[in-house]
Amino acid sequence: MSGKVEAGAAGVAGRTYPSVAFEIEPERAAAFARAIGADPEAGVPPTFAAVYSLGVTAPQLFGDPDAAVDFARLLHAEQEFRWTRRPRPGETVSSQGHVASDVSRRGMRFVSFETETTDSAGEPLCRSRALFVIRP
Amino acid sequence: MSGRAVTFTKEQIADYAEASGDHNPIHLDDQFARTVGLPGVIAHGLLQMGLMATVASEAAGGPDRLLRLYCRFNGMVVPGDTVTFTAEPAGPGKLELRAVNQRGEPVLTKSFAEYLE
Repeated sequence: MSGKVEAGAAGVAGRTYPSVAFEIEPERAAAFARAIGADPEAGVPPTFAAVYSLGVTAPQLFGDPDAAVDFARLLHAEQEFRWTRRPRPGETVSSQGHVASDVSRRGMRFVSFETETTDSAGEPLCRSRALFVIRP
Repeated sequence: MSGRAVTFTKEQIADYAEASGDHNPIHLDDQFARTVGLPGVIAHGLLQMGLMATVASEAAGGPDRLLRLYCRFNGMVVPGDTVTFTAEPAGPGKLELRAVNQRGEPVLTKSFAEYLE
């Protein structure tokens, strides 16, 4: 029965959370740049998407009682970002999170969480895909 | 090939927690981290990825050229670890990304970037 896939005890696959707006404060983007060894004068660091995209939507998943994610047992296993363009400092963006899949295998739970970020005109900016593993 | 070696510190991990808003105590509180089976505080995967992105951006000719970045977090990074991040050309518009600790263990695997040439 290897490779058997079963629904998680509290599977929330398919769930979409309300869109969240976020203003990219220039000071915060610069502090983030310094923390990752990038030039704070060079604009919004690409992986500031960890804040404006994943960072604003993942708490909705973690706070969802139906999802029942044990934060202390959560591992971030994989992360992908795809950018259409880099946001500008001071820009307000909107992000919407979606649970692409939620499966349990041999006691480990795997949640694939996708976030779409758009600009104020509704044009795509960034897509995030995180794979979270929740240890037993 | 672009690269840099980074020795992780508690201060740097705390700075990243503050800048990113990820205040999970496994990154900030040794005692808490040990209660969930960790050796002590560990670096955020996204801090590793951010450092990797800085190296990838340099290799790509600037952060505006990055189109896609993928990282698989393979191992824990703790304060005192020195991780060497490198980006190597791997075909048109593609970079192979590596992050290896002081023991030669990969902490990011199967990682890559795509960029606008």
